[in-house]
Amino acid sequence: MSIEEIFSSKGRVKILRLLVEIGELNISEIARRAGLNYATAIQHLGFLEKAGLVLHKSFGRIRIYRLNEDNAYAKAVKTLIEGWEQQGET
Amino acid sequence: MASYFTVFKDESKLDINYVPARLSHRDSQLNLLTRFFQFAIESPGKMAQRALVVGRVGTGKTALAKLFGLKMMQMAQERGVNLRYVHVNCRERRGSLFMILQQVILDFYPHFPKRGYSSEELLQMLMQVLDEQNVFVILVLDELDALIENEGADALYKLTRVNESRLKSVQRLSLIGILRRLEVLSVLDESARSTLQRNVIFLEDYSKSQLRDILAARVTLAFKNGVVLDDALDLIAESAEREGGNARYGIELLWRAGKYADASAAAEVSPECVRRASSSVYPVQKEAVFSLGLHEQLFLLGLARRFKKSKEAYLSMGEAEEAYRIVCEEYGEKPRRHTQLWKYVNNLTAVDILKSKGSGDGFRGKTTLIGLPYVSAVELERELSKRLRL
Repeated sequence: MSIEEIFSSKGRVKILRLLVEIGELNISEIARRAGLNYATAIQHLGFLEKAGLVLHKSFGRIRIYRLNEDNAYAKAVKTLIEGWEQQGET
Repeated sequence: MASYFTVFKDESKLDINYVPARLSHRDSQLNLLTRFFQFAIESPGKMAQRALVVGRVGTGKTALAKLFGLKMMQMAQERGVNLRYVHVNCRERRGSLFMILQQVILDFYPHFPKRGYSSEELLQMLMQVLDEQNVFVILVLDELDALIENEGADALYKLTRVNESRLKSVQRLSLIGILRRLEVLSVLDESARSTLQRNVIFLEDYSKSQLRDILAARVTLAFKNGVVLDDALDLIAESAEREGGNARYGIELLWRAGKYADASAAAEVSPECVRRASSSVYPVQKEAVFSLGLHEQLFLLGLARRFKKSKEAYLSMGEAEEAYRIVCEEYGEKPRRHTQLWKYVNNLTAVDILKSKGSGDGFRGKTTLIGLPYVSAVELERELSKRLRL
């Protein structure tokens, strides 16, 4: 998947940022914090999961998503976001 | 700025949550508890254990469990066993299995969703989390009475049986229940009771000399050298013994006596400081009362006034609400509605200021009866009026 496809959506970037900052979150919480509706959040998460950037674990009906730290692209995204945020702090 | 003298070296050593590195006169119980759970270090997953720690207030139940937890974690770390000690106070979790399990799961997933499933589902989720992370948990249910009072036998039944449905898999959840009286378990059925009662550790009330040892150890940790007079220590030990061998009371009294010494700029903690302190530790638990919100305080004030005039031990919820509304009018506050007040009652009951029970027979309909057994109504009213001055 190309970098444009990942970063072309504000919602996806928001989700990635949340997962970098917080670690693990369930869908409702991701939707709430990213200001997306539930269906959109699921769509983005599905997309990101297919791209190998995020993973989920299911507990009954609950799905908890996190960044796939084994994936080189995910690692690169994490470095980018963390570096970006740091710049904002200084 | 004026410098001031204090008798304390480290006040935090007298905090209720402080766990000393060694518990005086509880060595054998600690050993026994460790022996019960030795398998968790030596052959984790082979079995799950259940134990009970029983004793009156201030006999060191919580401290014993926490110290045990620290030791177990240390041993587990040395052996590379992934063991977690989780201490949950059931009363603080309102005696709800759901809230108790939630606290445990939040230990693993701090952002786990807070709603949307039942306690059974949550229990299954917890087991799944433990499997996935390959963790063994010793779950301590402090004030287990609250869980049984609130949920009856069911909750405990689920907890003790969760391993049974997983006979072939690894056993991950061990339990320690802490309670004041074994009789509380009488609501459980025979089989649940017997599985729980296999390992019971009784903590006898401390004797005066034992209390003195405990207090002396805390004095060394918390106070500057030689500032607490022997006579003062004797007096505290005596009072704590009178309170039913209650070490917690003794420690609180010790702290308060130190505060009185500081307040009067005394260089030492004398028996007079203790005497003054002892009139203030009980009956009104001032911190507990003052940490309440405005409307909870107004509600309590209403109750205190009613109880001052009444000869009854209990008031009905209706009477309490009426008293509260009158107080609200006096203070120009808009009264909270019934459901909120009912929550206040639960909360105040949980922190041992009030006692509440269902009305049962002899009442028309169903209402909550509210009692004020631990605190003098006159004193409570005085304190609250002072605080809530118009």
